[in-house]
Amino acid sequence: MADTLLELEGVTIRRGIDIVLSNFNLSLKGGQCVILHGENGSGKSTVIEASARLLPMEKGEVRHHLSMVHDHQGRRKSPKFPFGLTLQSNGLVPSQTIQQHLETVCAISQSSCDLTPILESYGLSHRRHDKIAHLSGGQQRKVSVISGLIPAMLSETPRLILLDEPDSGLDDSSIDVLKTHINQLRSAGHGILIATHDERLFECSTSLHDLKKETKNEPESCEPWTHIGNRVKNSFLTTKMGWKYNASTLISIQRNWLASLIVIGALLALVEPLSIDDQQILLMGFVLAPAFTIGLVGDSVTSMLKEQRAIDWWRAQVHSIPNSNVESFLSGIILTIFSMQIFLQTFDWRIILIGGVIGIVTTFCLRFLELSTIRLTRTNAVFIRLLTPILILPWAMVVEYCATL
Amino acid sequence: MRVRHGEVLLASGFTGIMITLFLALKWAPSVSIDAFASPAAQRIFYWHVPSAWAAFIAFSVLFLGSALWVFKRSAFGWRLHVAGSEASLACGLMAVWSGCVWGAAEWGTPWDWTDVRLNTFGLLTLLALFLVLGRQSQPDGVESRDTFSTFGLYGFVLVPITYIATRIWQIRHPGPVIGGGEESSLSSDMGLVLLLGAISFTILIAGHMVMSARITEYEQRLERLQNKVDGRI
Repeated sequence: MADTLLELEGVTIRRGIDIVLSNFNLSLKGGQCVILHGENGSGKSTVIEASARLLPMEKGEVRHHLSMVHDHQGRRKSPKFPFGLTLQSNGLVPSQTIQQHLETVCAISQSSCDLTPILESYGLSHRRHDKIAHLSGGQQRKVSVISGLIPAMLSETPRLILLDEPDSGLDDSSIDVLKTHINQLRSAGHGILIATHDERLFECSTSLHDLKKETKNEPESCEPWTHIGNRVKNSFLTTKMGWKYNASTLISIQRNWLASLIVIGALLALVEPLSIDDQQILLMGFVLAPAFTIGLVGDSVTSMLKEQRAIDWWRAQVHSIPNSNVESFLSGIILTIFSMQIFLQTFDWRIILIGGVIGIVTTFCLRFLELSTIRLTRTNAVFIRLLTPILILPWAMVVEYCATL
Repeated sequence: MRVRHGEVLLASGFTGIMITLFLALKWAPSVSIDAFASPAAQRIFYWHVPSAWAAFIAFSVLFLGSALWVFKRSAFGWRLHVAGSEASLACGLMAVWSGCVWGAAEWGTPWDWTDVRLNTFGLLTLLALFLVLGRQSQPDGVESRDTFSTFGLYGFVLVPITYIATRIWQIRHPGPVIGGGEESSLSSDMGLVLLLGAISFTILIAGHMVMSARITEYEQRLERLQNKVDGRI
């Protein structure tokens, strides 16, 4: 008998002020393809996002491969096996190339593969080195759909695939390719949950669900998909990805470094360092201000991931999202060396190290604050940075301590 | 005629505060010149201490409302949260502003970033500002209520820290004027004005909270009616 890949038990979810899903139950086994259909606002995307552990529940529990991954008490556990996810809003990082993004998806699945045949089938192989931001809406959608299918394509054992409106923006030929892939993956024993209005996809389903009742369906049989991946061990994935995102976009230089250098410039415009060489605390404050500024600007990778809800895609897949920890530490060190030369004309490795720690800790605090408001509808409109002055007191204490060294 | 308790409380509190101000400036005895560098500015404490007292009550209401929403999903709890955050902001700003004026005269600087009491109280006020502005920037829903209530819950940890700050790490802010042992005793006249101020501020924020809770209830009722018109209920 096929394994149960997904179970939603007694799930009740509120969105806004309404309860959109009440005591909802669903079970998806390997070899099944369940299609959720119904009117706008009926809760199809809510089921997909709840299955991906993205929505808090009033009641109920979500299980992947029979293990609890999320429940109404807010407990979230990483799934035992990677799963495919296509969000309605793509969940892509626009500054990555197609190749980079799909390699990331493979890395999360602890696998690697030759992506060419898949890209060719969707007519994207010639654009593989283009940034996602440079693609049309339909092409971006194709990349998002491929990302959702890849974990199953790479795996010998059954995997869960969650696709939210995968047909949206796809041309007819791409829909045909998608149907073929869904049928092949289902035949290979993978479980697929799709939310869609497109009746062309209905023929791939083993059952249709309108969120009230489930109707059985007989899909056409086809040759099962033959997996294409090789096992690869990937450690420290989110740290590596944060580094890659930074390296490919130089976003930390653009945001954090620039702000820090402007702070140094502004301080130099006001004071002549040699004229205050007897005021150690003041000088030390000037030395450590750039490292503090690095962190106060915030985690650049987190800001980048907010585009197209990539942050949600990452939150669903892994325990912690990519971050700029390494960059913040290194930036803190480099800028402290720089400001030390300007204001103190000395070199003290202890203060330089403290500069690095200030950079990483401040960035961590800012990221924590930003992520704590991630559920809000308008995350950029919330005034969370009003709380950052809490960091001034500890920073001032560190400055005082450094002045005694 | 229906009695509007909120308005009555608000007017009573306001009148009490005006009387407190008058007594503070014209009647309360002046303090010893040795005790303060700027004895005239010291009179602002009849405003500063009661507003800080009222702010702590408001923060407690905010905590209670947040807890009721998070753990019980209580609509009343959410109204308390809204009213508590607004009252915390108003009283917090009054305490911070009057403290800055006093500090500028007494210490020569309006603010000291290394003083724990100043920092934690300032942060509580910023938290209230974040809750008020943040709530206005978001559509009302369980997501925003959960998020802001969580901040209201965890933010309350700053209240006891603020309270004990001058007892443990007295840097610049003076120690407690009441309940701080021998050194904290006030003359009876000073104590009387201070007590009147504390009661007046408490009544004022109580009136504000009653009115704010009523307005929030109207907003919720309006939202339900609009949803009904939209066919969502």
